[in-house]
Amino acid sequence: MGQGPRLLIFSIERDDYAISTDRLVEITVSGLVLNDETLTANFEGKMEFRERILPVLNLKKVFKVQGKPGKVLLVLKTAKGEVGLLVDAVTEFLDTEKLIRPIPQGVMNPTLPYFVGILKHKGSILLLLNEDGLL
Amino acid sequence: MTAGYLVFLLSGWLFGVPLGGALEIIPRRRSRRVPLAYSYVQGLIDYRGTIYPVFNLAQRLSLKVRDRIGFSAEEEQGGPEESMLLLEVSKNPFAIEVDRVSRMTKFDALAPSPAEAAGVDVQYIKGLAYEQNDEIIILDFERLFFHGS
Repeated sequence: MGQGPRLLIFSIERDDYAISTDRLVEITVSGLVLNDETLTANFEGKMEFRERILPVLNLKKVFKVQGKPGKVLLVLKTAKGEVGLLVDAVTEFLDTEKLIRPIPQGVMNPTLPYFVGILKHKGSILLLLNEDGLL
Repeated sequence: MTAGYLVFLLSGWLFGVPLGGALEIIPRRRSRRVPLAYSYVQGLIDYRGTIYPVFNLAQRLSLKVRDRIGFSAEEEQGGPEESMLLLEVSKNPFAIEVDRVSRMTKFDALAPSPAEAAGVDVQYIKGLAYEQNDEIIILDFERLFFHGS
């Protein structure tokens, strides 16, 4: 067991990402998502989840990646309430002591809040999401 | 003062980078995409434990491709085609893809840059060097990729 954060690794269009499990409520299959024009463009809509209404964010829209919305739903607690994230697949849980490094300089506008940093795992580079920055 | 440079070819233009900032020449490899990165960022690579952002220099400079009419013998026998240069400025490692590494050479002094060369904004040019009838553009990589970040 590592002493660092426990991470969930998931993929979007064959690129791997990680998110801390601290705020993870549930991993499930996406149900019927209804359009809601009161939500911003990055949301796919809202769905009923455990007798409450959950806004569902399409990470492909957030990241401007082509492709159909993922079918796997990650339910997260964020500073603004519970939200669902649509991703393509969940790969594994990772108990990590690995070094989380900042995104290298010059890659993106440093004021963008979407990523906490990067880490290496099994020969790949994972981008670690900032769940509060997604909303 | 004489200084060493690595000269490379990109989109038909010759560019030079000080040898002190050149870490390694490696074959091109697939990079890991970073969503919402600057448009000229191709992705990230992990090479020998260091993470390098890969920059598309031609896109950053809005280079107009030109056909070079003939290569010097040294260029024809130069380094491998479609290489990746690993560079470092101000302790920031990064990679750029080039069409071909041409040669290593030394210049006594750089000529001041004109208003533009190869259509490149003068603010990104440190100076020009001339060798074997070639004009070689010495770029300011810090200003190109790290200014303001």
